[in-house]
Amino acid sequence: MSKQLTFTFEDKEYTLEYTRRTVAEMEKKGFIASEITEKPMSTLPALFAGAFLAHHRFVKQDTIDTIYSKLTKKEELIGKLAEMYNEPIMTLVEEPEESKGNLNWTATW
Amino acid sequence: MSDPLSSTEGSGGVTATAPLHSYGEKFEELFPYYLSLGMTEEQYWDKDCRLVIFYRKAEELRTSRKNQEMWLQGAYFYEALSRVSPLLHAFAKKGTKPAPYLAEPFAITEKQAEYQQEEKDKKTYDKGKALIEGFMAKHNKKFEGK
Repeated sequence: MSKQLTFTFEDKEYTLEYTRRTVAEMEKKGFIASEITEKPMSTLPALFAGAFLAHHRFVKQDTIDTIYSKLTKKEELIGKLAEMYNEPIMTLVEEPEESKGNLNWTATW
Repeated sequence: MSDPLSSTEGSGGVTATAPLHSYGEKFEELFPYYLSLGMTEEQYWDKDCRLVIFYRKAEELRTSRKNQEMWLQGAYFYEALSRVSPLLHAFAKKGTKPAPYLAEPFAITEKQAEYQQEEKDKKTYDKGKALIEGFMAKHNKKFEGK
């Protein structure tokens, strides 16, 4: 199952997810993921709003903004959203077979 | 020589290079491939994005099975050709006959191999038994006369 983010807001269950269609749609509307470091103030809310397109397309922007402002652990949330956003493309990339010559890596944080 | 795709070169003062391919473009580029694997438009664009992994895996299995089948067919051809090869000899003696085609398919599972071995053993046993019975009958006849 693909990566999803769920929460309840005002007694309504929300499931955030990106599909290939919603990622392509976001790009068509001008969303550029690589701008996340340069323009985080506009890119992050747009990234968050884009996650509603798959299952809650008709939720108003105001509601999305309110939810975004109320969500805790923002830093972790952004990391998760970025992972989710990348998943539709990453699943298209084949993992190299484990064999001699391939490098393993570890993160230190 | 500098990298032609460098984002910091040139006179435009642009600090970021537009991605060579947007995700959307990549999705569209690969879409026909996944259609060819049997995915529907809805599955590819709207459903669980991990589905592609399983379609690829299924395709791998399909290819491997097909390869196995073709190899097996080659083995049957080879077997058949070997059996008719006496006829193909330019100076084959008159009346040369080909060996008959395989009585049964190759055993490709352990169970089939066991079954075929059992059948073979049974035939050998029956043949031996018939020989001994024939020999005994013949031998008994000799004594009957006495």
